[in-house]
Amino acid sequence: MRSWSGMADFEAFLEEGGMVEPGDAMPEEYRRAVFRFIELHANSELMGALTERDWIPMAPGVRRKQILMAKTQDELGHAHLLYMVAADMGVKSRDQMLEDLFSGRSRFHNVFHYQAVTYADQVAIAYLVDAGALINQQAVFKNCSYGPYKRILRRIVAEEGFHMRHGEEMVLRFAEGSPTQKAMFQEALDRWWWPTVHMFGPPSKPDDLLLRWHIKSDTNEVLRDRFVQKFVPLVQGYGFTVPDPDLRYDHEQRRWEIGEIDWEPLQATFDNLGPDSGRRIETALAAWNQSAWVREGLDQVAALHAATGDRAA
Amino acid sequence: MNDLASAVGNAVASVDDPEYPGISIADLGLVCDVRVDNAGSVEVDLVPTFVGCPALELIRTDVSRAVGAVAGVGKVDVRFVDRPVWTPERITSAGRAALAREFTVSVPSPGRISGRCPRCGADTEELSAFGPSPCRAIHRCPTCGEPVEVVRR
Repeated sequence: MRSWSGMADFEAFLEEGGMVEPGDAMPEEYRRAVFRFIELHANSELMGALTERDWIPMAPGVRRKQILMAKTQDELGHAHLLYMVAADMGVKSRDQMLEDLFSGRSRFHNVFHYQAVTYADQVAIAYLVDAGALINQQAVFKNCSYGPYKRILRRIVAEEGFHMRHGEEMVLRFAEGSPTQKAMFQEALDRWWWPTVHMFGPPSKPDDLLLRWHIKSDTNEVLRDRFVQKFVPLVQGYGFTVPDPDLRYDHEQRRWEIGEIDWEPLQATFDNLGPDSGRRIETALAAWNQSAWVREGLDQVAALHAATGDRAA
Repeated sequence: MNDLASAVGNAVASVDDPEYPGISIADLGLVCDVRVDNAGSVEVDLVPTFVGCPALELIRTDVSRAVGAVAGVGKVDVRFVDRPVWTPERITSAGRAALAREFTVSVPSPGRISGRCPRCGADTEELSAFGPSPCRAIHRCPTCGEPVEVVRR
C-alpha cells in the first residue's frame, strides 16, 4: 500500500506515469472521480447489451444473430468486470449501482437514450457508435492511471476493434443494396449521426480533473474531431450523406468542419430525459427482475457448496 | 516446394486472433494442418476454440488473405475441423505468457478450471462461468483482488 503526502505529491506521481492500485491510499477526490467514470462505463455496457439483445430475434440470418449474441455477451461480460472494479473502490456496492441505474438516479451514455427504429439503426450503431466508443476507450486506455481499469480496457479495446469490423462489413452490405435498403440506412444515419457527435461529451471545462488525473488523455474536442475527420469521408465514400447542412471541407487546413452542435439533446440525456430514456430504464429493470430466479438458484448452489466444503477446483 | 510450404506455414502463423491483437492463431493452438500441393493449392485446417465463436469467419478471411499473398500460391481453402477438439493445452507457452502479460488472461493447468492470477500468481476463484466471450470465464484473485479472465476448456 502506497500513500502520498498530499494532492501535489499525488499529482506529481501521476505526471510521472505512476499507476494507482486498489490498495493504495489514493486521495478521496481521485477515488470518487475514477469511480464515477467506471460506473458510467459499466452502466453504458449494460444498457448497450440490452439494446443489442432486443435485436437478436430480428437480425436477418443466423450469422448476424450470432454476431449480435456475441456482442451482447461481450458487453455483459464487460459490465460484469467493470462493476467489479468499481465496487472494489468502496464508494458504492454493485447492488447500489444497479439500484441507482434502474431507478434513473445515475447516468449512462447518451447514445442509449434513443430508440433503434429499424435493423439499419442497429447497423448504424454498430458502425458509428462502436467506433466512437473505441476512440474514447483507446484514449482512456493510453493514459489511464488506475491499474485495474487500464487492464480491463486493454481487452475491451481489442474486442471493440473486432465489433467495428463487423459494423463496416454490414454498412458495406447496405451500401451495395437496393435503393430501398440504401434509403433505410440513410434514415438510420440521419438519426444516429448527431448523437454520435455528442458522444464525445460537452465542451471541455477549462480544468478537467479527469485529464489532470490521467483518466482521460484527450479533450472532448480532440476526440470528437478524430471521429469527424475519419468518418465524414468514410460515410460519403459509401455513398451516404452526412446529415449536416453546414458541413464543409476546409481546403487550406485539409480538414472537415461540421456545423454548430445543438447541445440540448445531450443535456436531456444527462437528466435521463432523452426520447427513449424512460423505456430503456424500465426495460433494464424488467430484465433484472426477470433474471432474479437465476441469481437465487446460484446463491443456493453456492450455499450448498459452502455447507459441504465442496468447491470447484 | 519446401520453400513454398514453409512460406505458407509462416503466413498462417502470422495471423493474429481478432480479439487478441499481437497473439497469433498459431500461439492459441488453432492451426491443425497446412497442406500445399504441387500446383500451389493450399488447404488450411483450423480448430475452433468454440463452435459458436463469432470470430471464425473473420479468422477465415484473415488466413485466406495472408496465405493468398504468398508468391506461388494458387487456390486457398481454409476449413474449420471438428477433430481434434480444442483445449487450453493447445496454447503455446509463448501464447500463455502473452495472454497473461498483455491481457490479464490466464490459461488453466491441465484438468483444472481455475487459473493463476497474472499479477500475483495465486489460484483464481470463479465468479461467472461465462465472461465476455464463450471461451473465457470471469474469475477473481482471492489474494490481490484482480479480476482475471480464465480460458474455458
